[in-house]
Amino acid sequence: MKGKGPLLGTAGEKVLMSGNEAVARGCLEAGVSVVTAYPGTPATNVVEALGEVAPDLGFWAEFSVNEAVAIEVAAGAAFSGVRAMMATKMLGVNLIADALTVVTVTGVRAGLVIVTADDPQQFSSQNAEDTRFYGMLAKAPVLEPADGQEAKDMAKYAFELSEQLELPVFLRITPRICHSSFPVELGELTKPKRDGKFVKDKKRFVMISTYSRPRQKLLREKMEKAKLINDQNRWNRIVDFQNGKQFPKGAVFNTFGIIASGLTYPYVEEVVEVLGLSARVLKLATTFPMPENLIGSFIRELDQVMIVEEGDNVTEMQVRALAQHRRLTARIIGKDDNILPWSGELNPDIVGDALGKVFGKKFREELTEPYVEAEKLIQPRIPALCAGCPHRASYFAIKEAIRKKGKGGSVMGDRGCYNQGAYEPLEGMDTCICMGASIAMASGVFHSGSSEPSLAVIGDGTFYHAGIPSLLNAVHNRSNITVLIFDNSITAMTGHQVNPGSGQNLMGRPAPFTNLKKVVEALGVEHVRVINSFDTKALVAAVMEEVDYDGPSVLISRSPCALVVERNLRKRKLKMPVAVVDVDKCTGCKVCMKKIGCPAFGWSQDPKPHMEVLSHCNGCGLCMQTCPFNAISIPGKKEGVLGMTIRKEVPK
Amino acid sequence: MNIVLAGVGGNGVVLTTRIIAEAALKEGTDVRVGEVHGLAQRGGTVVSHLRIGPDAKGVLVPQRKGDMLLAFEPLEALRQLKLLKKGAKVILNNEPFIGVDSHLGLSKYPDVCQIVERIQATQDLVDVDATHLAIQAGSVIMTNVVMLGTLSASNELPISRDSLLAAIKARVPQTMVEANFKAFELGEKAFRDWQAARVCEPHPDLSN
Repeated sequence: MKGKGPLLGTAGEKVLMSGNEAVARGCLEAGVSVVTAYPGTPATNVVEALGEVAPDLGFWAEFSVNEAVAIEVAAGAAFSGVRAMMATKMLGVNLIADALTVVTVTGVRAGLVIVTADDPQQFSSQNAEDTRFYGMLAKAPVLEPADGQEAKDMAKYAFELSEQLELPVFLRITPRICHSSFPVELGELTKPKRDGKFVKDKKRFVMISTYSRPRQKLLREKMEKAKLINDQNRWNRIVDFQNGKQFPKGAVFNTFGIIASGLTYPYVEEVVEVLGLSARVLKLATTFPMPENLIGSFIRELDQVMIVEEGDNVTEMQVRALAQHRRLTARIIGKDDNILPWSGELNPDIVGDALGKVFGKKFREELTEPYVEAEKLIQPRIPALCAGCPHRASYFAIKEAIRKKGKGGSVMGDRGCYNQGAYEPLEGMDTCICMGASIAMASGVFHSGSSEPSLAVIGDGTFYHAGIPSLLNAVHNRSNITVLIFDNSITAMTGHQVNPGSGQNLMGRPAPFTNLKKVVEALGVEHVRVINSFDTKALVAAVMEEVDYDGPSVLISRSPCALVVERNLRKRKLKMPVAVVDVDKCTGCKVCMKKIGCPAFGWSQDPKPHMEVLSHCNGCGLCMQTCPFNAISIPGKKEGVLGMTIRKEVPK
Repeated sequence: MNIVLAGVGGNGVVLTTRIIAEAALKEGTDVRVGEVHGLAQRGGTVVSHLRIGPDAKGVLVPQRKGDMLLAFEPLEALRQLKLLKKGAKVILNNEPFIGVDSHLGLSKYPDVCQIVERIQATQDLVDVDATHLAIQAGSVIMTNVVMLGTLSASNELPISRDSLLAAIKARVPQTMVEANFKAFELGEKAFRDWQAARVCEPHPDLSN
């Protein structure tokens, strides 16, 4: 969408923007000079969008190799006096914590904003952690927008707050902000500063204990100051509702209150209006530190207050503590009373259930019998690797090798597209914990005394992100493990972002191709081989050999992402090779499906039951290798031609 | 007004929603779009919630508050049925996408006739052969534009035909504008020609 996007629209214009785009625009309006990120759903395209416009606007945008590096680059820029932003999904905040908890002690010289995308519904995440705890832990303020306009405006404001307090500031968003679209009225763009300079101040930036200890007091003072600033925050708003009609604060009398944080406010507003409730509502944008005077006076006038928030009971805990501290008697209800759920995202129906319980009314339209009957027919769709995905070939080979070896074996997995290979029928990896865990966990399995072969699979992006120290550890500690690096030379899962193996950076400039094999060798691994993912015979043989080798070995299974192959073919106006089935030869045994489960497989009863190949086949040829009756071929290619040779025709 | 759009990855649900939302915004109407597009590039469930006018508050349509469903795939239509008011219109592309999980017996794709019956039990269903009409217009890629034509002709949408066409034009390559307009018109025609008495032909069991 380059050139068509709303990111560079003119001030005053009202455009449709995703929450991620709105955050990106807010940063441009703040005149951000350096932006960094590691791709992670749902936050990926905040920085991706900025990368497209960075060369023209003259600021720096990068995909860093991991989140820890990304925050350090951003903090270095903020130390040097220019505004910096780092974006991450919630799990990445675990990685930035090391730097963050010290950067709050040093403070920053220019605005440092951390955009964190929490995923309470776990659309694409291994857990559902609430990153507001990191704000509390590190003592960094947390802002939460309620919609796209606020996402943009608060992103810009976050830099101002950061500079006012000289602290990094979190902007917490969720998929319902990131991937939703809203009309957003644009403000003026600000020219980014490019004259950063790091001015030395060892008592501030050299955080050895002698210099760090005295600064703790300062941090406490900053938190107190932040509370007072948050009392005045323009997005913290109190409104009164009477019978569902909105009034300015104090125009009508209410004894029941609701504190709605971030994007829960529109849900609350809708429920209150539809049910015609009477309540005083505090729309809370500053979830840490709490605006204590604002909340204290809000509670003081009420008998009962419901806390509505997504994630853990972060606000609820603080409000309870504040009420106790200020001797306020209002009853506080929320997650602790199980009136609101502890897990999953909120929606109007869930908020409606909670408020309905209090007021004895019903918001949720019940599903009547015909709807319930219809629901019974619904079937889940089991996710699969894309058609033509090289990971499928790699898993197929690993499975074959383990089967042929007959010694069992475990495959410690990592985090990436290849997670789809955990589903049936491939079931190719046995764990998925966090970025980089595969190699070290395989070492742990080996050191447990297990007699089975211990394998690990990890993608190239994940290997650069967090696999290198684990592999070095395996060399140093002599783990007998076999590591497969699935190398498609791109960060595919989040939508093809560049990484050190891609040969270009986020801003489209050439970058050195990292030689993965040399990196692995340099770590001290003696057995390293690069094999085309679709050369399954070679891959099977190599896995069988390497599990016997006493020491760590690495097999780099390399082939470009199928979607990249398709895109390149389309660009060059070349036709996609498609497999065809010889209906006479196909017996309908489904061996191909059972072995590799490709989504391009279809089924037909006409004229007899047989396997079909659907139009989105891209001719990787893996299924040809599985058919016991040679019923599958790719026209125009020689008999027995495999995906690897077909793929070779496609340049990177 | 609350509109739900549903399909599988590759159907163009997200793009279609954006086109309608942009057209609405151009006409000065407030809009919100909530989307879920999970992991799968292709074949995974995709749904978006489009809220227009006074309903444009939160991004999610509450249960049974939906005024309309534009469904690109039968099973996905069924999945979102709970979001619809009784009697709300459903425009359905009747081309099923049966995943390999069904062929392997890991899940069972329901009979399309049965799906249609269940939808008709509560909703005002208009089914369209959008996939084939798109092919007729030049490419299966334009299935979503056929659906947009049908939606426009249904007169349920508070957005003018011209605004929709302008939003489509702004989104597609210059060389494809004419073909897309043709797809749109085929969709409109499909609505006009649609007959309520259409009997669902039993499908062979494709999932086994």
